[in-house]
Amino acid sequence: MWVGLEAEEYDRKYQDKVLVKRIISYFSPYKKAMLLVIIFLTISSLTMAFQPILTSLIITNLETTPEPLYVIFLIVIIFIFNILGWIINYVRQIYSSRVIGSVVLDIRKDAHKSVVNHDLSFFDKNPLGKIVSRINTDSRDFGETVEMSIEVVSSVVVLILLITVMFTVDVVLTFVLLISLPLFFIAALSFRKFARKMTLQGQRALASVNAYTKESFSGIQIAKTFRREKKVYDDFLAVNNQSYRVNLKRAFLLNAIYPTLGLIQGVVTMLLILIGSSFVIDGFVGVGELVLFIQSINLLFFPLLIIASFWPMFQTGMAASERIFALIDTLPAVVQKNNIVPSKLKGEIEFKNLNFQYDKSKKVFDNFSLKVNPGESIALVGHTGAGKSSIAKLIARFYEFQGGDILVDGKSIKEYDLTEYRKHIGIIPQTPFLWADTVENNIKYGFENASEEDVMNALEISGGSEWIKSLPDGLKTNIRERGSLLSMGQRQLVVFARVLLEDPSILILDEATASVDPFTETKIQEALEKTIEDRTSIIIAHRLWTVRHVDRIVVLDHGKIVEEGNHDELMKRKGTYANLYNTYFRHQSLQYIEDMGKSNE
Amino acid sequence: MRINHKIMSAKLKDSKISEFSTGKDPFAKARKKGSSRWILAHILHGSNKWFITIIFFTIILSANLSSITYIIIGETISALLNGMTVILGNYIILLFILGITGPLMRIGSRMLIEILAQRLERDARREFFSNLLGKSQSFHDQMKIGELMARVTDDVRMLNFLISPALSLVVESFTYLFIPIFYIILYYPIQLIIEPIFFSISFLILLRSYSKKIGPITGRLRENFGLMTATLSETLSGIEVVKATVQEEKEMKKYLTNAKNYKKAFIERGKLQAKYLPILVLALVITAGFAHSIVLYNYGLINIGQIIAFLGILGLLRFPTNISMFVFSIFRLAGSSAVRLLELMNKKTEIDENKEGKEKVFKGIIKFDKVEFNYPNSKNPVLKNISFEIQSGQTVAIVGTTGSGKTTLTKLISRLYDVSSGRILIDGRDIREYSLQSLRDQISYIEQDVFLFSTTIFDNISFGRVSSLEEVIKVAEQAQAHDFISELPDEYQSKVGERGVQLSGGERQRIAIARAFLSDPRILILDDSTSAIDSNTEDKIQFAIKNILKNRTTMLITHRLSQIRWADLILVLKNGEIVAKGNHEELLKTSEEYRKIFVKKFDIEEDQLLKGVRE
Repeated sequence: MWVGLEAEEYDRKYQDKVLVKRIISYFSPYKKAMLLVIIFLTISSLTMAFQPILTSLIITNLETTPEPLYVIFLIVIIFIFNILGWIINYVRQIYSSRVIGSVVLDIRKDAHKSVVNHDLSFFDKNPLGKIVSRINTDSRDFGETVEMSIEVVSSVVVLILLITVMFTVDVVLTFVLLISLPLFFIAALSFRKFARKMTLQGQRALASVNAYTKESFSGIQIAKTFRREKKVYDDFLAVNNQSYRVNLKRAFLLNAIYPTLGLIQGVVTMLLILIGSSFVIDGFVGVGELVLFIQSINLLFFPLLIIASFWPMFQTGMAASERIFALIDTLPAVVQKNNIVPSKLKGEIEFKNLNFQYDKSKKVFDNFSLKVNPGESIALVGHTGAGKSSIAKLIARFYEFQGGDILVDGKSIKEYDLTEYRKHIGIIPQTPFLWADTVENNIKYGFENASEEDVMNALEISGGSEWIKSLPDGLKTNIRERGSLLSMGQRQLVVFARVLLEDPSILILDEATASVDPFTETKIQEALEKTIEDRTSIIIAHRLWTVRHVDRIVVLDHGKIVEEGNHDELMKRKGTYANLYNTYFRHQSLQYIEDMGKSNE
Repeated sequence: MRINHKIMSAKLKDSKISEFSTGKDPFAKARKKGSSRWILAHILHGSNKWFITIIFFTIILSANLSSITYIIIGETISALLNGMTVILGNYIILLFILGITGPLMRIGSRMLIEILAQRLERDARREFFSNLLGKSQSFHDQMKIGELMARVTDDVRMLNFLISPALSLVVESFTYLFIPIFYIILYYPIQLIIEPIFFSISFLILLRSYSKKIGPITGRLRENFGLMTATLSETLSGIEVVKATVQEEKEMKKYLTNAKNYKKAFIERGKLQAKYLPILVLALVITAGFAHSIVLYNYGLINIGQIIAFLGILGLLRFPTNISMFVFSIFRLAGSSAVRLLELMNKKTEIDENKEGKEKVFKGIIKFDKVEFNYPNSKNPVLKNISFEIQSGQTVAIVGTTGSGKTTLTKLISRLYDVSSGRILIDGRDIREYSLQSLRDQISYIEQDVFLFSTTIFDNISFGRVSSLEEVIKVAEQAQAHDFISELPDEYQSKVGERGVQLSGGERQRIAIARAFLSDPRILILDDSTSAIDSNTEDKIQFAIKNILKNRTTMLITHRLSQIRWADLILVLKNGEIVAKGNHEELLKTSEEYRKIFVKKFDIEEDQLLKGVRE
């Protein structure tokens, strides 16, 4: 939960070859730019590596027989290298940030596209936060890794060049210098291991601060009304101090690494001088050459650091790219076989020997059949888990079924063009979802060309537009995240208006279980009456009223139809429905209300 | 009026009004003086100022050591060239010592810096958190939790980054910028300082313009990343709607707009970093310095060892040059983080603890006298001219559409908000005369969306008052909650929200009722807007509610017709006004809207309904 290190169901292991190929394919549209980057990178690395060599040549010359012209010539070359190196690096950096920016954008585009086109089973399995972090954060990390890889290539070029030159100058001194390499790597890598652990702990500690804050201020009103701010504060102090301790430890460790590497550098420098000076005394090497070695240590320090920290980072980046590709490559479970574009649906629905399950352990429908006539309104009634909502979700084609078929207007719903098909289906979900946008845009969502008049009209039909006036900016009021500015009942009214504007042939309504104040409730009931008129409507019923007014009530139990008929017929039969009605809806009956108060006295 | 006056003068006297304080707040003054002063106050607070002094001292010392090291390297080489082998050994030992003490000292100073940085984070967060606790409910209503969380973690953390690495690196790079010059003056012909001085000056100028540009770009990059996450999260939360209305394309466009802006900012940042001139200037200055020293060598003013040492000292400038490229954007970010933190902390809040106020045990007579209320900074009144009176032990049901001001009305009683005009009296005395502690201790809320902390059930029930397990079980029984709690894996020690402890709305509500039982308030406010689906639960809830209403003055916001039906007084609210008032029979006669509820709900004719009343 804290760090998201667990694998997801859609993760797959790519072979390195496949992964690299895939990455290259993202870069291939920017071939020319990449080529430029590589060439320029090499040149600028070379200009950098040559400078200490030139310097040592000058020193050697000064030390032996100074030739002013030669020295001036070399100095001028160094100057030219300085300028050239900078300019080339400038161009290189601009190109590489363009390419990386574009590749990251392309990856994000593909990942987003793949995700929004998934069916709902995908979203049931994968927590939203993780999907978001894959699309945004993993792609960013991948970009950073590419950036870093470019740096590493340049470092390696410098490193190789310098070491080659040094070997030609003096083998022993070069070996002394090379001793530092393994030391360096061991130090860097072992730090890395601890650092990882500590960083994880640090993140967890911070995450608990985060979680505690969230909880405290979500419940601030309770803390206030019970006057328990002190308790909340004391608990916070504990969490905050823990974060302090853990993060301080982490910081200590992370900060020790550079000075430690500095220590290695210092020791190696001393060794070089110690051995080098005896070589100078013995005449094996000149002072200029010793200077080359001393200067090189400095120049090597940064490239080595980058290379040492590269491998783990590279792995992180590869893992990030693997995660995104896995996301992109997951196939949606809902697959259409054809793409028939329906002009207008009559709204006949038939379930034929349907088999369906969300996961293998539990069958929802086994050989289920039901026919809904055009224009008919039916109510689905039954206990939780009876399969009511599943019927709605299958009609909307949010899930793939395993066997049998669902026919709409006589054709299998697998045959329709999904986009066109869904345009004819209106869905009112149990919990109304609204966008952080204006009321008007929320109603127009899915039907952008509607005029303000249409919107008002739709509102008027769905229980009146009077309440809109009480909002600060009327229709133009921004209702914030998930419509939090509106009450539950108002949110439902907005959703009703949205669906009315859409004017679907088939209406699916999952009634809200959250209760609404009695005034709004009467409005919603009126809205509902108007909405289901003249269209095929499937209502997942939680309320008394609706059940009584539909053409047909279908009573479900564990994926099977146990009873069918209208309210009066079913009540007469005194079967499951009558039983359900009497217990389930009893509380909303006048009788119950009257009894309730009397028993009180 | 007298009270109003008193409150006003208190406001004028001091802006430290707060509902909660920890007693110590050393930064109260600094907060008013802007972000830099506030940060400075934190850095210099308590023992922090000794830390910062030691840090400065060690950084300067180690910059000196680095310069000395190069001078000795130069001397060593001179000794080599001149064949002075005796001194050579001494030099090398000296170098060895320097090579070890330098890094060790740096480790020491880094540790101190970290302590300072982490302390700053901890203290600022503590200050921010306690400050938020003292803010009134109207403040919290306007805040998004996500925003608060971002402040408490990210923004506070930026202050940490401000010290480490930003501030420490800046101090380090500035000492590295000037200490070498001092050594050049000491050891070399004075004219050699031309190059480093030229560099230092041009570096400062270039850096100034660079840091001015990099701050906003980094900010934009972060902002766009945030937007990308926000739009994507929203799309995915509403994915069902997106699919049902076939708006995948539109959502993708929304996301891509943000992603493209991010790319733009990313490229711009790349460009700006590529254009970073100090690197070029330094390279040229080093080469020029080299050339200059060769000229001096020609005149016999310095020797080869000194040239090498000089180059080494100039090389020390690389560190500040490279590091400044990244450090300055942190300053910008930390600055704006501090501004954001202060903005919230400095927001005025209107309700004070009123510690000196009256304390007494309530009888529970509540009177609203021409109460009006509008939220701070809003002109639309939420409640208008509200007057009514409840006797001790009575139940008032408040009905009305949402947005009609029901919840707000109940919140005024415990002063979660203060009335804008008019007054509320409990036992004949204005509630503002009581101390906040005394007032809120005797009022309990059972809110609509029952909020439970993710601790144990036991902790949740005993939240309002520390109690024994026996007491908790007793109230749980009264609240009809004991049975389902006993079935949980760890009974009262089960943690809310964990696997197997997913509580339904009805169960949460009963826990809240138990919580209220335990604090045994004189006045109870019950926002009962959830509805249980299954019959058994519904009975239990109704029973629990009935239990708790006994012998308490109760204000009941409810959608349950049964409760409305049997209340002593029903208030029908509409757009913040009481449009009808009375008991069930009276309202059936007088209120058309009230009648409509029953007609629609039960499919009965109006006549029939009224007939029942007349009998």
